Amino acid sequence: MNKALSFLVPVLFLLSFGYALVKKVKLFDTFAEGVKGAIPLVTSVFPYIVTVTMLSKLLDVSGLGEQIARWLTPVFSFTGIPQEIAPLLLVKPLSGSGAIAVLSDILGKYGVDSYVARCACVAYGSSETIFYIGAVYFAGLKRKKLTLALWIAVLSYLLSTVLCCLLCKFM
Amino acid sequence: MNLLFAFVFLVCTVLLLGANPENFLSTLLDAASKSGTLCISLLSTYSVWLGLMKVWEKSGVTQAVSRLLKPFASKLFKTDDSKTLDAVCMNMSVNLLGISGAATPYGILAAKLLDKAPHAEYSSSMLFVLNATSIQLIPTSIIGIRVALGSANPTDIVLPTLITTVFSTMLAVLLTRIFIPPHTEAQTFTFFKQRGQVCNE
Repeated sequence: MNKALSFLVPVLFLLSFGYALVKKVKLFDTFAEGVKGAIPLVTSVFPYIVTVTMLSKLLDVSGLGEQIARWLTPVFSFTGIPQEIAPLLLVKPLSGSGAIAVLSDILGKYGVDSYVARCACVAYGSSETIFYIGAVYFAGLKRKKLTLALWIAVLSYLLSTVLCCLLCKFM
Repeated sequence: MNLLFAFVFLVCTVLLLGANPENFLSTLLDAASKSGTLCISLLSTYSVWLGLMKVWEKSGVTQAVSRLLKPFASKLFKTDDSKTLDAVCMNMSVNLLGISGAATPYGILAAKLLDKAPHAEYSSSMLFVLNATSIQLIPTSIIGIRVALGSANPTDIVLPTLITTVFSTMLAVLLTRIFIPPHTEAQTFTFFKQRGQVCNE
């Protein structure tokens, strides 16, 4: 399975570039133009990543993070979610770049290929910044009755996290 | 977010003052330098995928995906206004292809247009739920981070991620259909009213 997936990316590029050639797309120019977009994207997330990383390091060093994790232990042991990924689960609905900072912290601490790290990766990849999206997309709307939709999104987020930690045990 | 940040930051600082104040500045600096390294690895990932996405856009793949999604979107959002559907489909296809930052402009446009759609509450909720639980085919940033940190098998999280994200989206769509149903008297009325306006124009 994993062997097949490592073929996926090169084959994807091969097919895409081949098709683009047929469509007479100027590959070099187009690709470079796309790459240009990467710098503004990174500069726009950089300040938030730094700020959240500082906060999460402070949480670590001061011992407050450990305290919070201890309070939440019963909840996590009940659902089968490893409590090491608690900070990620709390940050992700609020801020994507903040969650990246927390994620890379977890990966560094427990090893990229550990069970905890893989749970964290799947939890990060399968969820979205619920509250951020709610604020950005629907800020200027007249009929905003999204309370119920918000609850639905949060519920799905929690249930899917439980599922992801279960899946990571087998896959 | 601002309140939370201030609160946690202050509590941590006070705790550190009690324990070992000399660690304070070094912790902040260390965090900033770690973030710098992280951003460079993100820059490399985004470069590769944004380049590919531009090629998709120019060769018409993105538009083709969004055309494929159209009949499906029309059923899901209970609207057949073509401009609205375009925005919704571009939003969904960019979400499917990966980098969610690129989906935001289409999402905002779609939200504005859906606000005027026949079943505004239902379809806005649907748009929100779809974006808030978005299906991702290739979790690009995570693979990038895993490669950068020297994972033995950076792509082994792709399958569980796919299963989980499909599950959460299906669940959310189902719940939205059940709890925020599209048909109510008042909304049908505004629907016909708007239809009338469109005809008059």
